[in-house]
Amino acid sequence: MSLHPMIAALRKHKAGVVLIALQIALTLAIVCNAIFIIYARIQNVQRPTGMEESNLFLITQQWVGAPSGDDPADLQKLDAMMREDLNVLRSMPDVVSVTPINTLPLFPSSWNGSAALKPGTDLRAGNARTTFYFGDEQLLKTLGLHLVAGRNFTAADVTHRGFRDATESSIIIVTKPLADKLFPQGDALGKAIYLNGGNTPSTIVGEVERLQVPSVASWASGFVWNSAISPVRMNINFSRYAVRTKPGRLDAVMRAVPSKLYAVDAMRVLDDDSVKSFKDIRADAYRADIGMAVLMGVICLILLAVTAAGIVGLTSFWVGQRHRQIGVRRALGARKIDILRYFQMENLMIAGGGALVGVALAVGLNRLLMSKFEMQSMPTFYVLVGLAVVVVLGQIAVFVPARRASNVPPVVATRSV
Amino acid sequence: MLKMTHLSKVYRTEVVETYALRDFNIDVKEGEFVAVTGPSGSGKTTFLTIAGLLETFTGGTYHLDNLDVSNLDDNARSKIRNEKIGFIFQAFNLIPDLNVFDNVEVPLRYRGMKALERKERIMGALDRVGLASRAKHYPAELSGGQQQRVAIARALAGSPRLLLADEPTGNLDTQMARGVMELLEEIHRDGATIVMVTHDPELAARAQRNVHIIDGQVVDLAEDPRFHSAYVAAAGQVRG
Ligand SMILES: Nc1ncnc2c1ncn2[C@@H]1O[C@H](COP(=O)(O)OP(=O)(O)OP(=O)(O)O)[C@@H](O)[C@H]1O
Ligand SMILES: [Mg+2]
Repeated sequence: MSLHPMIAALRKHKAGVVLIALQIALTLAIVCNAIFIIYARIQNVQRPTGMEESNLFLITQQWVGAPSGDDPADLQKLDAMMREDLNVLRSMPDVVSVTPINTLPLFPSSWNGSAALKPGTDLRAGNARTTFYFGDEQLLKTLGLHLVAGRNFTAADVTHRGFRDATESSIIIVTKPLADKLFPQGDALGKAIYLNGGNTPSTIVGEVERLQVPSVASWASGFVWNSAISPVRMNINFSRYAVRTKPGRLDAVMRAVPSKLYAVDAMRVLDDDSVKSFKDIRADAYRADIGMAVLMGVICLILLAVTAAGIVGLTSFWVGQRHRQIGVRRALGARKIDILRYFQMENLMIAGGGALVGVALAVGLNRLLMSKFEMQSMPTFYVLVGLAVVVVLGQIAVFVPARRASNVPPVVATRSV
Repeated sequence: MLKMTHLSKVYRTEVVETYALRDFNIDVKEGEFVAVTGPSGSGKTTFLTIAGLLETFTGGTYHLDNLDVSNLDDNARSKIRNEKIGFIFQAFNLIPDLNVFDNVEVPLRYRGMKALERKERIMGALDRVGLASRAKHYPAELSGGQQQRVAIARALAGSPRLLLADEPTGNLDTQMARGVMELLEEIHRDGATIVMVTHDPELAARAQRNVHIIDGQVVDLAEDPRFHSAYVAAAGQVRG
């Protein structure tokens, strides 16, 4: 089938053609960008934190009337209270290990700073931005981190200090990505680094494979894997404990925890939200992302449906309008398949034209999103997917009216007025 | 060329059955020019649509060019329409979106003809109807007579053996009708078989043979002069 007469005929229906082609172009531009964004979000949501995420939960509790922690005696008292809690939790039968901790990956609380090779280095110049985790010798085991170099903390390494005490610990474990960033030669082990622009060196004694920062917001996307772990019990008037249970015992232990802790000291606040499984922490962290991805997906589907409906509508209108000439074509020797092909082909040309414009729009939209938001450059693959989607959609949508057209009987040529 | 025996055509609607044709017999020889006349609603168009394989029939047999066409499938019927039959309609039936050249090309494309041969045939056919200079015009830019001549060119381009015309001059004034009629006669002289439905006794008289249809049945005036007066009366009725 040669296209010349078809194009000639389409020129007589410019308005409809242009409208539907534009709709297809916009659909393509929006859909492939949306698929790209959805995919990026899903990838974010699915990335592992570096922990063994099952059988893990977090307790957040606050002592009522606890000392402020400003003078040394108070600090001892707070630390004693914390150790008492740890002892009780560790003595529970289904508990594998427990660590005091300031936060967990994906938990909405974080302590961020920087790591540098030289003392007193300006925080913004040549440093690696870093998040800090504080815990004891059981932290690695409790979180299920993989030590890839060096050693874990021992009980003797662990110190305790107050919230306002800026002293950095003398030894530290960092993630491999942070180590590699600071020491690209891969010889981080045993080297000293300086945290938060301070002057006391912290020696790297171990490297863990991976540990995500708490924040999932885009401002933290530049240092997602830069974490440093200090062997410190942080003494404040509240505390957090990460607990690993035996497989399948998570719920039972979580239920038993409040009464155990109240038995130690009733003067504390523990509400429903205070004992939270990591699964729930993850769900909370990514709720907005998943919601956004679903919303965008739904919008894409609606957009595709509207475009398909537009194609069905316009083609149906054209079939009605050309009812007689279809009959004439049949009378002059067109087979049903010729009529069907005519409309499929016509749609292919319109969709193809629209898709070409759409590809340009898609790239333009991506550039715009890149400049206004923290968007990556969209790989060509997504444009091709979008192109295939709209073209296939067009062919499917046009099939129904095209088939109706092919069933117009040739007798229409002599009968209709 | 075209032979129908005991052919019947029934239109069934929910309430009534209409016998548009009953016990219909006709035999048109190769190279004949037959004019079909008859009162309105007598079945002339029905006959032509069945003859042109635009519609199927209910009973009887129909041989076209010695081929029994009663059991052909839709594709085979399309092929025969395309290759053997040329249609000329009362309402011209040109495709308004296409120019004259593209209109004449339509049946040739369905035949899968090469572009060069198509072009030759199209220009030849347009030449013949005297409209070669209007190839780029659109139907809306032509007079009724010119449009009908384009339609004739379209029917001619594929060199069909059989030309079927349903009141080809029905929408034209006398002057233009005469032009179209002369064209048909010329085509006939070149060897085509023509069956033309007309209400115009003057045009009918110019054909080789007149077939009169009343109530879905053929009354061949040429073979039975007793019907001559009835024919004239019927024709007069239609005209008045
Ligand atoms: N699709 C149809 N459904 C039902 N009845 C039909 C149909 N087409 C034609 N008829 C009937 O068949 C009969 C013959 O119609 P036909 O069109 O062949 O007449 P005609 O001789 O061409 O008339 P005219 O001179 O007015 O064109 C009429 O009674 C008509 O009402
Ligand atoms: Mg008629």
